[in-house]
Amino acid sequence: MANDKKYWKGLAQHTNESQFVEKHESEFAEYIPVEEFIGNKAAMETSSTNRRDFLKFLGFSTVAATLAACETPVMKAIPYVQRPEDVIPGVANWYASSFFDGHDYASILVKTREGRPIKIEGNTLSTITMGATSARVQASLLSLYDSARISGPKMKSGNTWSDKNWSEIDREITPKLEQSKGIAILSSTIISPSTKAAIAEFSAKYKNVRHVTYDSISYSGMLKANLSSFGKAMIPTYHFDKADVIVSLGADFLANWLSPMEHAKQYSKTRKVGKDKKTMSKHFQFESILSLTGSNADERFPVKPSQLGQIALGILAGVGGNGSAPSVMKNEVAKVAAALKNANGKGLVVCGSNDAAVQLVVNEINKNIGALGTTVDWENPDFTHQGDDAAVKKLMEDMGTSIDTVIFYNTNPVYTAPKIGNFEAAMKKLSCRISFAGMLDETATLCDYVCPDHHYLESWDDHHPRKGQYSIQQPAIRPLFKTRQAQVSLLKWSGINGDYHSYIQKTWQNNLFSLQNNYGDFTAFWNNTVRDGVIELTPVIVAVVDAEKKVEKKKPVADSLATETPASTSVGMNDEISFTGGTLTLSDATSQIAAIKGGAFELVIYTKTSIGNGTQSQNPWLQEMPDPITKITWDNYIMMHPMDVKSLKLFGLLEDKDLLVRFDQMEDKLDVASITANGYTIKLPVWFQPGQARGTVGIAVGYGRKGFNPIIDATGENIYPAVGMTSSGTLSYDVYDVTIADSGDDQHVIASTQSHSTIMGRNEDILRETTLAAYAKDDRAGNERPMMQTYKGEQDVEKVNLWNDFDRPNHKWAMAIDLNSCNGCGACIVSCNAENNIPVVGKDEVHRSREMHWMRIDRYFSSNVVKEVAQAKGDLGNLEMYREMENPTFDNPKVAFQPVMCQHCNHAPCETVCPVLATNHSSEGLNQMAYNRCVGTRYCANNCPFKVRRFNWFNYTEYHRFESTNLNPAHDLMGRMVLNPDVVVRSRGVMEKCSMCAQRIQAGKLDAKKAGIRPVDRTIKMACEQSCPADAITFGDLNDIKSAVSAMEQDGRKFEMLEETGVRPSVFYLTKVWNREDENAHL
Amino acid sequence: MIRLWQNVQSKRNVVLFSLTIFLLFSFNAYAAPDGKALFKANCAACHNASDKKSTGPGLMGVLDRIPTGDWKYNWVQNSSKVVASGDGYAVGRFNEYNHTVMPPFPALKKEDIDAILDYTQKGDVPKPVVTTGAPTQAANATDETNPVFLVIIILVLLIILIAVLRFTKINLRNAANEKDGLPEQPAMPFLQAARHWMHHHKRKCALIGIFIFCTLVGKGWYALKGIGVYAEEVHPNEWVGYHPSQPINFSHKIHAGDNAIQCNYCHTGVENSKTAGIPSVMVCMNCHKVIDQTVNAGSKEEIAKIYTATGWSPDMRAFTRAQQPVVWNKVNVLPDFVWFSHQQHVVVGKVNCDQCHGDVKNMVTVEQQRPLTMGWCVECHRTTPLKMEGNGYYTALHEKMKEKYKDQPITVAMAGGIECGRCHY
Repeated sequence: MANDKKYWKGLAQHTNESQFVEKHESEFAEYIPVEEFIGNKAAMETSSTNRRDFLKFLGFSTVAATLAACETPVMKAIPYVQRPEDVIPGVANWYASSFFDGHDYASILVKTREGRPIKIEGNTLSTITMGATSARVQASLLSLYDSARISGPKMKSGNTWSDKNWSEIDREITPKLEQSKGIAILSSTIISPSTKAAIAEFSAKYKNVRHVTYDSISYSGMLKANLSSFGKAMIPTYHFDKADVIVSLGADFLANWLSPMEHAKQYSKTRKVGKDKKTMSKHFQFESILSLTGSNADERFPVKPSQLGQIALGILAGVGGNGSAPSVMKNEVAKVAAALKNANGKGLVVCGSNDAAVQLVVNEINKNIGALGTTVDWENPDFTHQGDDAAVKKLMEDMGTSIDTVIFYNTNPVYTAPKIGNFEAAMKKLSCRISFAGMLDETATLCDYVCPDHHYLESWDDHHPRKGQYSIQQPAIRPLFKTRQAQVSLLKWSGINGDYHSYIQKTWQNNLFSLQNNYGDFTAFWNNTVRDGVIELTPVIVAVVDAEKKVEKKKPVADSLATETPASTSVGMNDEISFTGGTLTLSDATSQIAAIKGGAFELVIYTKTSIGNGTQSQNPWLQEMPDPITKITWDNYIMMHPMDVKSLKLFGLLEDKDLLVRFDQMEDKLDVASITANGYTIKLPVWFQPGQARGTVGIAVGYGRKGFNPIIDATGENIYPAVGMTSSGTLSYDVYDVTIADSGDDQHVIASTQSHSTIMGRNEDILRETTLAAYAKDDRAGNERPMMQTYKGEQDVEKVNLWNDFDRPNHKWAMAIDLNSCNGCGACIVSCNAENNIPVVGKDEVHRSREMHWMRIDRYFSSNVVKEVAQAKGDLGNLEMYREMENPTFDNPKVAFQPVMCQHCNHAPCETVCPVLATNHSSEGLNQMAYNRCVGTRYCANNCPFKVRRFNWFNYTEYHRFESTNLNPAHDLMGRMVLNPDVVVRSRGVMEKCSMCAQRIQAGKLDAKKAGIRPVDRTIKMACEQSCPADAITFGDLNDIKSAVSAMEQDGRKFEMLEETGVRPSVFYLTKVWNREDENAHL
Repeated sequence: MIRLWQNVQSKRNVVLFSLTIFLLFSFNAYAAPDGKALFKANCAACHNASDKKSTGPGLMGVLDRIPTGDWKYNWVQNSSKVVASGDGYAVGRFNEYNHTVMPPFPALKKEDIDAILDYTQKGDVPKPVVTTGAPTQAANATDETNPVFLVIIILVLLIILIAVLRFTKINLRNAANEKDGLPEQPAMPFLQAARHWMHHHKRKCALIGIFIFCTLVGKGWYALKGIGVYAEEVHPNEWVGYHPSQPINFSHKIHAGDNAIQCNYCHTGVENSKTAGIPSVMVCMNCHKVIDQTVNAGSKEEIAKIYTATGWSPDMRAFTRAQQPVVWNKVNVLPDFVWFSHQQHVVVGKVNCDQCHGDVKNMVTVEQQRPLTMGWCVECHRTTPLKMEGNGYYTALHEKMKEKYKDQPITVAMAGGIECGRCHY
């Protein structure tokens, strides 16, 4: 909220004195002697108020209250004085824009209603993200309305902050900049040509200015390796869609690595199978933690991070390069190398390590298997990760000597820098510290001046994420606070006035306008680019230099336009990445890899699918989104193999049996261990992670923030300080020797949304899987029709029906979910939150299983105790058997994801039990929920076989308990601006569930009726479907026989969840197909 | 009570308004018909018939200013030509009015131009209208007999009567006792006497009690039904509803009725949005930039409110002041949990505005004339035939429905128009 004042009743409340708190927590301020009064018989008898009087009072007050409530309030309507030309109240406007936070890039469309952004969707015109979004991009919308944002410039005098206006702060800062010996601008990756131009202006104005790029999740190792192998400190574009064999060495490319939305889109293309396509890519994954990508891999091999280099060398040797056989996983490595060799140039090896030595070996493998030019695209290098670790190290050495002023832009090194560098101490040596942070984050708190930047949805910018690809970031709302765009501040201090919008236009007119010949007029060129959000301008030739062979291969120029392109463009349009990390040779790399000594326990510092690098840790939508693998919300934790816990004798767990018992209790409380890595110790709860490599632990970054609000600050611990350095001088997210000990602390409560881990042997009912070989033979493989015993003999359940079928004369809506495409990333969950005004309930409520998400993604591990094994064991009782079936295989389980929302059953069991007909069926096949009718009996939830109905336990928008936590977007006035006005905000005591985006269906039908045509297939898109980067969800009309969903309904892979219950869902699934010899290969 | 008073007021307004209109017309009957009509058709968009400036100068006394001779005809028929010829007066005016070109009117003959100028020469200042409100109001007030008041008055009279009779009876009895030499009976207190009476007349008491109870329950039941509902059908097809006073006394009768302005001229959203929308005040300025007062009493003050809202200075003919939005009182309000779309009803369903909004063309103050309850919506959906002809969306559905329902008319409800999820989500 703009006006976020806090009032105190007195000093006691301000200082939170214990007595005050105690008093405050009780319901009544004073002690009321109820017991004494009722217990005193004499007093009761002499009391003049008798029972009848009491009833009279009661009756009177009821009547009085009723009468007082009868008056209906006068409602006001305030129309625009002058309606903006393009705003029609009640109609949404869409603006093309771009998301780039220094980590993820996406081209997006922003939906605004009456001037407020309310939803983000993917821009299908972009050739990079191709309409995909991720959970983090979806949720970035909510950060706009964060009441913790700074409302204007601030200056620190002594230890207190004072608010200034912009001219005051400029007057303060300009002389300081002039007096500086040297100024450094420390930022995360900047891909904006105009921002780079603004920095150049700034550098020209002041003496000794240095721009240093620091990414908290660094790709310096890749830059260094690529500089060594190809003579270019750049990152190529990867084409997973062109790869037949994909090998990932610890790269979580579907959710976190490099350009995850693009990769997910490409990957799903190779994973889709159908009538005409019975082939799939084969995906191998070597990794330590069970990542989202690893859980989708056909074959996954748990390894220690210290072994990745050896494995890379092993593969290199296997494909005919100058490698050496590994000491571990010899057979697996040989198998992978053979597969890569057989792929005939259609193989791809990627690696998530930031060690230049390992990356160099990976480059060699890709060269050897002929991936360059097919799956590794050097013609269109990617610029989204330019962090230069060596330059940061150099800057830290110079801070206090040649550099005495640092400007922090979109970076938070106090939080993210490794402890070994001691950034805080280096910062103290500076004489002037300026931050552009929009919130008072860890670094801004230690600065002298904070000049808050706009949120990206409030500002103009341009992006150059990839060679030849440009995109515009367009504001969708006026700035909510008195913030100023960082670029404007830089330009202002360089003596250039004016708005940044015209500055970008100028940059484009001078540099990019000449690269095209579609538009003769700059205004037309600009307006069209802004409308589309993206533009492809002819790529300039990139020379691929093989550093070792010194051979330069020039790619032919496809477009004649390119010849007209000036050889070197002016300031800001530079395609070079400034990199100071140096180079290394293959023999250096080999010796560096050989020198790596693994420890007994190794730590992998990873990014979570929801929180990412931590720039959005304060975002409640992301915090409440369950982690795709662990299904834990609001926490980070140590992921560990249970047998390691046993071997370390932690928490008194000594026997296998103890572990299993503990695994049962895990959805509630976890034991806390302390972990020391690179001289940094923290305490975190330990989560038993099936699939975790033995001798490794994994911890996610982005938690343990300080200075936001009590809830976010208390969430998890920061692991960034444990980041180390590799021998090639880059940041290392793998720590090869850590110590773990029992902390002795009380157990830590965790909030997990899934209380079971395996499918309990009910594969054929819930989730069906098969192998590619079996599918190629029979498209119904693994998808046998469920049969039922009837008086007529055994019959297909489809033929057995307790109910009459209903007429669906107009539409018959249905949704198909392709389990083969779904990778479990959870973008759909956040998209659904935004579209349907779903409240955030907080950790405590999630812990009570009261999360409100309308859809979930069930994640199933597999158990090695399937029914047959249990029966073979013989001596197991039923209880014992099911308990064993519930516990997953720990070493390397198979993982499967299944998105589940309301299945819109045509014979819905919830409808028959509702005593007030609040839930009933539409003639279009939708199970509809009339909230005002609902009285909250919850019979429906009880009778739902899919458990998709969520009950509103509280009035989340107003209940004071959620106020202090500031979690729920609907709670404060700022946050309410994110609500979708087409969907009601549900109140306490009603049941809610997926409505199949009824508002979108109605809007789509109305458009069709106005145009006088039937709705065009796939123009009505559900929120989950739109945001899915893997195109796993398809919604449509089964009455339209040409629709995509009708075709899928006829597919041999189609199955319905719990089909034998006869509920006839409108949502159906397509079997998951694995490209592995044995379906249970992971076991 | 309040509703009753509003009723009185609205009726009064209607009478007042009709009187005004009547006066207006009777006054107009004596004006030069030809010149006025031509002026209205051709000139009024930019010129006033008074000495007030608009886009162009006010035309009152214009003949005294302009060069004599045929200049006036040349100017009107093609002003650009006159300006181009370098005529001093013409160029002066052209510059004075910001180089606004007066469009040529070649169709106007010399007699027409003379007639117009003749009309404007005298000016057309509206004369103040004599307000005849007071007697009308009085007449109206006496017309309306309030049954509740009547009942209360009768009750009070009855109580007084009983008290007087009782007093007389006691006095008479005492007088009789005195005459008979019996001791004077002290008068029972009133309540005690009432209880005494009730004790001896149990049956009557019970009957009266039951009657009062039933009346109250009945009244209460109807009162509860009216909570949140602003419109009531007092007689068949005659509705009385909520009509709050508005910050600007805007009359739909003048605009939509007398001047026949289409509803969607101002309510622009009606065909492309869920809401028809209350127009922005700038829409008013399309006409009221020129029309700053009318013959109606108080019009100048009301129109001045538009100028205040938009920040328009009539003297400088420019937006110079800060804008102040107008805070209207909502009249037709649907309950919160219903998603209603105007475009669905107006464009697809081809429903006329008055079907839900009543006879707006004759409303001086907008009044809610339909209950806007779910029952009312559903009733209409059950009886209204679905407009399927000529709409490609419905072709297949129409065939199926004809087969299923044979000769029955196919209503909105038959196509799912009363399913919960159509409006509630």
